[in-house]
Amino acid sequence: MADVLGAFEQAVLLEVLRLGDQAYGRAIFQAVQSRLERDLAAGAVHATLERLERKGLVCSRLGPGNSVRGGRARRYYRVQPAGIRALDAARRTLENIWRGVKWSVTKARTV
Amino acid sequence: MNSVHSHATPPRWAEALLRVLLKPSDRESVSGDLLEEYREVVVPTRGAGADRWYVRQVSSFLWRASWGWGVVLGSALVIRYLLDTLIPVTDYSIRATALSWTIIGGCATAGFIAAWRMQSISAGALTAFTAALIGAVVSIAGIAAMLAVWHDPATLDAWRSSGGLDEAFIDVPVKLMAIGAAMGTAGALCARGAAVVL
Repeated sequence: MADVLGAFEQAVLLEVLRLGDQAYGRAIFQAVQSRLERDLAAGAVHATLERLERKGLVCSRLGPGNSVRGGRARRYYRVQPAGIRALDAARRTLENIWRGVKWSVTKARTV
Repeated sequence: MNSVHSHATPPRWAEALLRVLLKPSDRESVSGDLLEEYREVVVPTRGAGADRWYVRQVSSFLWRASWGWGVVLGSALVIRYLLDTLIPVTDYSIRATALSWTIIGGCATAGFIAAWRMQSISAGALTAFTAALIGAVVSIAGIAAMLAVWHDPATLDAWRSSGGLDEAFIDVPVKLMAIGAAMGTAGALCARGAAVVL
């Protein structure tokens, strides 16, 4: 069965998917920050990537660094088939929750 | 990117702390990510505030490793004071012993787990000390909240007989941090020993 993903896990996993070959730690951190439109702690993104890897939803490999990062290696992430299934399941769950809701929530609140 | 920024360096102590708090397999990549962000984005946009940003990022790693244990330690203290307030007894030795062992065990376990994961004795000691510090803050806040609710003479008498306010607000938090440092180091040494044997 696909893993149940939290909202932040979905955001991180989707950015890994969007970034493709360029999905390394800092790029993912920037992309998630920009998508969620708020400052994030690097520790939060790192912990999430670690958890996703432990669950088998992403895999990682080390790549070469550059002079800006003092030559330190980059860790590149790739979404695994289990990650795609988990994202699918999360999306289906969200669609099920919203199915049948035909009015705007803002309007519904004022009724 | 401005070449001046490409050589900007965050505080050395913060970089060293970050490396202590990471697993060996993540040390290069995560510290590299933060350095890249610091040089390319943070220094050009925040200037003198860049070092504060870096320290805040490093603190987030320390916070993640220790806050859970801190809440456990602080809650244990608050529960003890809650029991003493609501169910006063004549002999507090059993409660005191139970609390002592909970704190000793919690600090040692926090140190053991952190040292096992990060493969570093310093990481274990630091995590347990920070957990104890968080626990001290939680207990002070909890006890202050309790005092705000129960401050009738009978309750204050019960508190005095179980140690008094000085003990609750000063002695215990200070002792907790000392125990955190000592037992965290002990737990971390056990973890490193276990890693060698296994």
